[in-house]
Amino acid sequence: MGLENKRQIVENVETFDSMLARVKEAERIFSTFPQEKVDEIFKAAAIAANQARVPLAKLAVEETGMGIVEDKVIKNNYAAEYIYNAYRYTKTCGVIEEDKAFGLKKIAEPIGVIGAVIPTTNPTSTAIFKTLLALKTRNAIIISPHPRAKKCTIKAAQIVLDAAVKAGAPEGIIDWIDVPSLELTNLLMKKSDIILATGGPGMVKAAYSSGKPALGVGPGNTPAIIDESADIVLAVSSIIHSKTFDNGMICASEQSVIVDKKIYEEVKKEFLYRGCYFLNEEETEKVRKTILINGTLNARIVGQKAHDIAALAGVEVPLGTKVLIGEVTNYDLSEEFAHEKLSPVLAMYKAENIEDAFVKAEHLIADGGYGHTSSIYLNVHTRQAILDEFQERMKTCRILVNTPSSFGGLGDLYNFKLTPSLTLGCGSWGGNSVSENVGVKHLINIKTVAERRENMLWFRTPEKVYIKKGCLPVALNELKEEMDKKRAFIVTDSFLYKNGYTKPIEDKLNELGIVHETFFDVAPDPSLASAQAGAKQMAEFKPDVIIALGGGSAMDAGKIMWVMYEHPEVDFMDMAMRFIDIRKRVYKFPKMGEKAYFIAIPTSAGTGSEVTPFAVITDQNTGIKYPLADYELMPNMAIVDTDFHMTAPKGLTAASGIDAVSHALEAIASTMATDYTDGLAKQALQVIFEYLPRAYDNGLEDVEAREKMANAATMAGMAFANAFLGVCHSMAHKLGAFHHVPHGIANALMLEEVLRFNASEQPVKMGTFPQYDHPHTLARYASVADFLKLGGKTDEEKLENLIKAVNELKARVGIKPTIKDYVPDEKDFLDRLDAMVEQAFDDQCTGANPRYPLMEEIKQMYLNAYYGNKHFQEPEMPGKKK
Amino acid sequence: MKLDNVIAVRKNKTVYKDGDLCYKVFDSTYSKSDILNEALNQARVEETGVNIPKLHAVTVIDGKWALVYDYIEGKTLAQLMEENPDKLDEYLNILVKTQMSIHKKRCPLLTLIKDKMTRKISLTDFDTATKYELHTRLNSMPTHNKLCHGDFNPSNVIITPDGTPYVIDWAHATQGNASADVARTYLLFCLDGQNKIADKYLDLFCKLSKTDKRYVQRWMPIVAASQSVKGHDNEREFLRNWVNVFDYE
Repeated sequence: MGLENKRQIVENVETFDSMLARVKEAERIFSTFPQEKVDEIFKAAAIAANQARVPLAKLAVEETGMGIVEDKVIKNNYAAEYIYNAYRYTKTCGVIEEDKAFGLKKIAEPIGVIGAVIPTTNPTSTAIFKTLLALKTRNAIIISPHPRAKKCTIKAAQIVLDAAVKAGAPEGIIDWIDVPSLELTNLLMKKSDIILATGGPGMVKAAYSSGKPALGVGPGNTPAIIDESADIVLAVSSIIHSKTFDNGMICASEQSVIVDKKIYEEVKKEFLYRGCYFLNEEETEKVRKTILINGTLNARIVGQKAHDIAALAGVEVPLGTKVLIGEVTNYDLSEEFAHEKLSPVLAMYKAENIEDAFVKAEHLIADGGYGHTSSIYLNVHTRQAILDEFQERMKTCRILVNTPSSFGGLGDLYNFKLTPSLTLGCGSWGGNSVSENVGVKHLINIKTVAERRENMLWFRTPEKVYIKKGCLPVALNELKEEMDKKRAFIVTDSFLYKNGYTKPIEDKLNELGIVHETFFDVAPDPSLASAQAGAKQMAEFKPDVIIALGGGSAMDAGKIMWVMYEHPEVDFMDMAMRFIDIRKRVYKFPKMGEKAYFIAIPTSAGTGSEVTPFAVITDQNTGIKYPLADYELMPNMAIVDTDFHMTAPKGLTAASGIDAVSHALEAIASTMATDYTDGLAKQALQVIFEYLPRAYDNGLEDVEAREKMANAATMAGMAFANAFLGVCHSMAHKLGAFHHVPHGIANALMLEEVLRFNASEQPVKMGTFPQYDHPHTLARYASVADFLKLGGKTDEEKLENLIKAVNELKARVGIKPTIKDYVPDEKDFLDRLDAMVEQAFDDQCTGANPRYPLMEEIKQMYLNAYYGNKHFQEPEMPGKKK
Repeated sequence: MKLDNVIAVRKNKTVYKDGDLCYKVFDSTYSKSDILNEALNQARVEETGVNIPKLHAVTVIDGKWALVYDYIEGKTLAQLMEENPDKLDEYLNILVKTQMSIHKKRCPLLTLIKDKMTRKISLTDFDTATKYELHTRLNSMPTHNKLCHGDFNPSNVIITPDGTPYVIDWAHATQGNASADVARTYLLFCLDGQNKIADKYLDLFCKLSKTDKRYVQRWMPIVAASQSVKGHDNEREFLRNWVNVFDYE
């Protein structure tokens, strides 16, 4: 006991401050202890506290004049044994959790100095409980005892401290205020790192208003309902057992019992049989006036025997009386029996039915025990619905079933998953920060160490992509031979239909014996109305296969009709909702393919829609375009048959071809680009640069050029189906929507600006994606230039050569250089520019761009592309060019 | 000035009437600072516009300190209640409404009720544990700034012939929680043995001011402790009983 001699009595601010300095020094050392050492200390302290359970219980009763020695022995024993047992293997030091694959670690750190307020009702057990929790979590703890229980509280703390120090804990890791005063308690609250306040509402409020994090708990007013289905013998004995425990001083203990009238007399008889006293009307009145003074509990009855409380009220009852029961009807605050009594005094209510019992219980909880504990006795097998309603309606953080509530609320005694604790949180209802039983997890800071990880990417294509000139009839054989399809629905536009493009398909279907019907009213920029018309026709025809034939418009319209046909309930606003990550989007796209198989057959080389999960549809009333994106929209089969491409007109060949160039270049620059998409995109570019001029010049005859272009467009489609696009498409989409510039042309007009914009080594803002670790798009473009053998020594030179090659290709296939060439009305362009900028910024394609564009930057690109006389300018930056 | 018309005699002080004025003369046991403080309180409250006698002078008469203020014609509510017991409800209504109208006023320079009560609790002769609980209870009360009379009871309310209530005796005025002021009034009724009237009064106040009765009751141990400092032997046991309550745990 050398320590006690060294300690200075803490009785004023000066001695408190020097004590605090010692405790902080002890904590500084303790906070570095490893788990094994902490566990040894925890164990030694728990053993010492357990061994002192009887003397501490005697001391507590002697000093406070409340409670029962034998019950306090249980509480002390519980606080030592159950707390040790619950946390003996719990990791509280250093790394407590690790997920290597995800790169996440959780590290437990002590909080520092715990300020602990200990109540008079459980002065030794609460001290044991809190000091053990502190030791297990490597915290220091300073106890503010209640002046009425200071001797026993300090003794308990001393015992735990001595054992802890003997086992290696730093001296002074537990300390206390010897002469408690409000001033010192407030000082403790202000100076500690966290407050563990158990006590009256005044104390808890002070803790919460101290400005420090506080774990305070509230008062209880536990009602116990005895349902008609209850085991009466079990219920009554449980309640008596609980209510008499330490003379009713556990805050979770029953304050009222609410009994269904069907079993009321039987319950009453059982209470009598087991030694409870029913007060008559006159006696009830006498006790009523004794238990409360001006609405507050009379201190003289707290923790006293039933007999002594009765005597105080002038009522004579047998000495061994277990509980005084007042049969009362009023359950609001004007009834004294409806309050918390902290003594073996119980209110008993007769309920008309279970609903009446619930109403009474709710009222009692709201008035005196919001958030604390409620209890019910019933047959859980036959009355599950009643239990469900009870648990839903009671605003208490512990809901106990067929369980003595004082023991039950403490946890691990009547239910072995409920955390053992002597500090029971009451949630926000009770004005507390915790709603569960307080334990070690509330006393550690957890640091989360998160290592950078890259997103999983993917490569997805239609399950079948058939290529080569003349492959259509071979591919369609599968519809009969492998899939046994019976009804085919063809979607195309009127030009293709009237010019006999659908004929080879129809012939083949006839040959296969598949009935078919054709919708040929798809317009460029397909409208919702035309998709709805097609879907209506589809709904009547009920196809099991859909064949979309045409350019992007027909294939997109086919996809939309497919959605409407399979899921007529869907809302386009929901499906078109902008997302950051296609896998985390709010909207869950409906499952496709349950009614029909989808085949896409392109008739021009560019769009790539036959292999992409995208479709754009326009609401003809509002002009709003809905860009839909989901892998559910991916066609099941793509048939790339050059026979359909041969007659494509020059303009279409040029625009589609340049569209494919922009697909490939954006897929390469995308933050989501992979080796898979890079290979496809680069190969597509090489082919297009070589064969587009030939397909443009001599498309009707040059089968090789057409076939190369068809494949290149589909390959570029596969690249951007997985890497997605970028700001070039965002701006092209809005140029198309605002000024009806054809899609491929619109991309062509923006390409140079975007190449320069994305290539910046010092972008104002880079794209957010873990894989995209620094602005490296310049090098990416340079690698394209190398692949295309365009020459150049530095990356900058290579970029210039790439831009030059793109511009030459555009000119070679008849595309004019500026937006102004296509949108001559300058005033109109400028008037609506800001709106166009904002919409382009918010386009779905912007997300994958390697550079996150500011609206001002988009505006600059539009203006540069409009006039064509200057190029994108960065703001001045301090860094030098590499 | 003729001081021969005695209208009230209290412990350590006598009130005389002379023409339209009252002379409250303190005997020598009264501390000068208390007298000047009462005068200052009264002047401050007068400035809030509450109907109170106007203070004219603080003076010394025959070596004794005295306050000079307007004489208010009329009867106190205490007199009226005694004379017309059948009109109790009406008088209680006036009492509560008058008190509530005072609580509406602000008087920022008066002592805070929580400061005053903190001091008083420390002065009691209760044991350390009881004082600790009283201090804790008081500490947890919200801090308000309503004008409180501090000794509000029917004998301090004079009803003039035209029915206007005037409130006198502002020696204990503070600013703070109306509920503390009401708890004190309730205590004064109880000390006077008028428990039934006390309950009626409290219920009426809670109803008219929409105050939770529990909130007023939370102040009762505190006002009882404060009253015990005055040291009336006959009240000791009664007050101890009020103080001896247990905060829920």
